[in-house]
Amino acid sequence: MVSTLSRIVTTDVLVVGGGGAGLRAAIEAARKGVNVLLVSKGRAGWSGATLLAGADLTLDGRSLHEYGFPGAPNDTLEKWMNDIVTQGFYLNNQRLAEVYVRDAAKRVKELLDWGLKVFASEERAIETSGESIANVLLNRAKECGAEIINDVMVVDLLLSERRVAGALGLNLKTGETMVFRSKAVILATGGWHKAYDPNAGSRELSGDGIAAAYRAGANLANMEFITFCCNVIYWPPKWRGNIFLYILHSMAGGRILNSKGEDFLSKYDPVIVKYGTSTEWNKCFISIASALEIMEGKGSPHGGVYYEIGDIAWEEYEKRVISFYRNWRYKGIDFSELAKILKERVPVEVGPAAEYFEGGIVVDEDMKTNIPGLFAAGECTTGVFGANRVAAATTEMIVEGAIAGEKAAEYAKNVGMPEIEEKQIKKLEERIYGPLKRKEGVKPIELRRKIQRLAHEKLGPVRRRRDLEDFIQFLEQVRRRDLPRLCTISKNEKYNREWIEALELENIVILLEISAKSALMRTESRGVHYRIDHPYTDNDNWLKEIIVRRVGNEPVFTTRPITITRMSPPKGIKPYWEMMRMMMLSHSDVGGHH
Amino acid sequence: MSEKKIKVKVFRFDPRVDKEPRYQIYEVPLIDGMTVLDVLDYIYENIDPSLAYYSHAACRHGVCGGCTLLVNGKTCLACQTPVTGDIVVEPAVKFKVIRDLIYEVGQEVKQHEE
Repeated sequence: MVSTLSRIVTTDVLVVGGGGAGLRAAIEAARKGVNVLLVSKGRAGWSGATLLAGADLTLDGRSLHEYGFPGAPNDTLEKWMNDIVTQGFYLNNQRLAEVYVRDAAKRVKELLDWGLKVFASEERAIETSGESIANVLLNRAKECGAEIINDVMVVDLLLSERRVAGALGLNLKTGETMVFRSKAVILATGGWHKAYDPNAGSRELSGDGIAAAYRAGANLANMEFITFCCNVIYWPPKWRGNIFLYILHSMAGGRILNSKGEDFLSKYDPVIVKYGTSTEWNKCFISIASALEIMEGKGSPHGGVYYEIGDIAWEEYEKRVISFYRNWRYKGIDFSELAKILKERVPVEVGPAAEYFEGGIVVDEDMKTNIPGLFAAGECTTGVFGANRVAAATTEMIVEGAIAGEKAAEYAKNVGMPEIEEKQIKKLEERIYGPLKRKEGVKPIELRRKIQRLAHEKLGPVRRRRDLEDFIQFLEQVRRRDLPRLCTISKNEKYNREWIEALELENIVILLEISAKSALMRTESRGVHYRIDHPYTDNDNWLKEIIVRRVGNEPVFTTRPITITRMSPPKGIKPYWEMMRMMMLSHSDVGGHH
Repeated sequence: MSEKKIKVKVFRFDPRVDKEPRYQIYEVPLIDGMTVLDVLDYIYENIDPSLAYYSHAACRHGVCGGCTLLVNGKTCLACQTPVTGDIVVEPAVKFKVIRDLIYEVGQEVKQHEE
C-alpha cells in the first residue's frame, strides 16, 4: 500500500454528495471564489435521489404567479409557512421552515433561468423532472469551476483539534483510499433508503454522511420520522420500488384495496380521505392505512395491498396518463406492459416504501452543525418539515445547498488549512480493509437482506413497542457482534460490491438503531410516526425533538423543545386521526397538491 | 412449479492478474419480466459475489446510463433490457476494462432523456 499521506487531495471546501444539494452547494461555494471539490459515491448528477424524483419543485404561489405561471396570486409566505408547520404536526424547526419559505422562490427562479424544463405547474409548484434538475445543476457546477470526483464513497470525516479537517474516501473502482484535506466539509448525502427493501430511493443511499457525522460527534435528531411513499410497486420484481403507480393514483385516480377487495381508505373520516388522497398528504395517510391492513392480515401475497384503476373509463384514465407520460414511458422505463395489466383491471401489488427521511443532522439556519467547519444540506439534515413532509424535498436541497455553499466558503476564507492526523487515517483504514482481510466471518449480503427484511417488518409506518424492542435487541447484537466480523468472499479490491456493502452496513445498522430507539422513546403518534400502542398526539409532553449523539461507542438520547418563531402549537392530547384531521383543516385557502 | 433456467455467459477479466479475458457461464432461474440487471443481481446475490458490474449506484430507471453493457453483442441498458433466453454479457468498452463488466467511463455519460 502506498503511504497514505502521499495521496492527499487538498481543497478549501469539500462537498460530499453528487445530488441536488451537493451540486447546489458546490455552485455557491465556487461562486464565492474558493476551491471546491465535490465527491460523489455514484456519478455526480447521474445518481442519488434527485435523479429519481418525479419531480416537482415547490415555491409560494404569488412568486410563481409573478414568474408568469398561473400560480396563486393570493398566496403569501405566512400562508405557506402555516401550511408547512401544520403538515409537520408542529414539530418543525420554524427557523429553518422560514428559511425554506423565504428562499424557495429565488432558488427555483435560478433553475428556470439556467434552463430547467417545465412540463406543467399548479398553485405552488412547477412540474419538472429529476433528470432536468440534476442536469442543470451539474452543468452549472462545472461552469463555476467545481472539481468533481465520481465513484468515491466517503467513509468517515477527519477531525483535527475539534474541527473538521476533511474526509477519508474509498475509490470504489480501484479500492484505494483517498485522503481529502479541507477547511470545510458540506455533507449532502441524502437518506438511508438502503436499510429497507423495498425502498423508493436509489441503490447507493445508505446514509453515509449522516452516520459519518454521528461518528464524528455531530448531533442527529428526529430520526424516528420516515416518510413512506404509498402505492409503491411491490410486485412484479422488475418494478419493485418504483413510484409510478403512486404518481398515477394521484394524477389519474384509482382505488386501493385490501385482500378482501375492500376499499379500506373509505373507512376513514371524509376530510382525511379528501386531503389524504388529493394532496401529498397521501404518503402519510395511505401508507399508515395500508400498513394497518397488512398488519391485520389483509395484505397481498407479497406483503402489500392492491391498486386498480376502479370505475373510471379506460380511455379517460389513459388520456390523463399519456398527457404526461407519452407512450407510457416514465423516465427510461417503458410501462406499456403495466398499461395492459391496468386496462384489464387486474390489481397490482403496491405498498409503503421508504422514500424520505425527515430526521438527520442537526443544523442551524446557516446549515452549520455543532462541529466547526462541518455543514450539511438537503435530506441528510433535519428540521424544515417536522414530523411530516408535504412540500418538496427538491426545493429543500437547493435552498439549503445554496446556504451551505455560501457559509462554508465564508468559513473557509477565515481559517487556515487543518493538519491531517495520520494516526486517525491508519485506524480508519484498518476498519475499511477489515472485511477484505478477514478469512472468515459474517457475509455482508446475507446480513443486509436480513436487516432489510426486519426493518420493513418492525420499523415501517406503523410501530409498536414489542416490535421495536425486538428490533433494537437484534440491531445492538449485529452492531457489537456481526459488524466487526464482516467478511467478503472475494478479496479483490477493485470494484468489490460485497466490500462496498460491508461499509454501507456500518452506516445502515447504526442509523436503524438510532431510529428504532427514537421511535420507542416517542410514546405518541405524530406525522409519519404512528404508534399503534400510543394512537394519540401528545402536545403536552411531546412537542420536542429527540436528539442523539455518540458518547463512547453508544448513542445517547436527549430531547429539546421545538423551535418556535411565530406559530404557537396546539395544547392537549388528541387522538391521532383527529389531530391529522385538524392539521389538514388548518391549511390555507391555497389549493394544489401542497 | 417447473423452473426455466437460462445460461448466462459473462465476460470476466482482471487486467492485474489475468493475461486475457475469459467467459464464465452461470445458470440462472428465469423469472418472468427479468431484466439483464436482475440477472446480474441474481448471480451476485446467490451464486458469485465476486462478479463486478456497475451496480452500487445504478438508478434502475433507464436514466443514469451506469449499467450500459453489451448483451448478445448489442449495446444496451442492462436495467431496461428484458431477458427471455440465454445471453452473453460483456462490457460496453472492452479495451478500458477495470474488472469484469466495469470499464473506465469519461465524463461523457450519455443522456437518456425522453
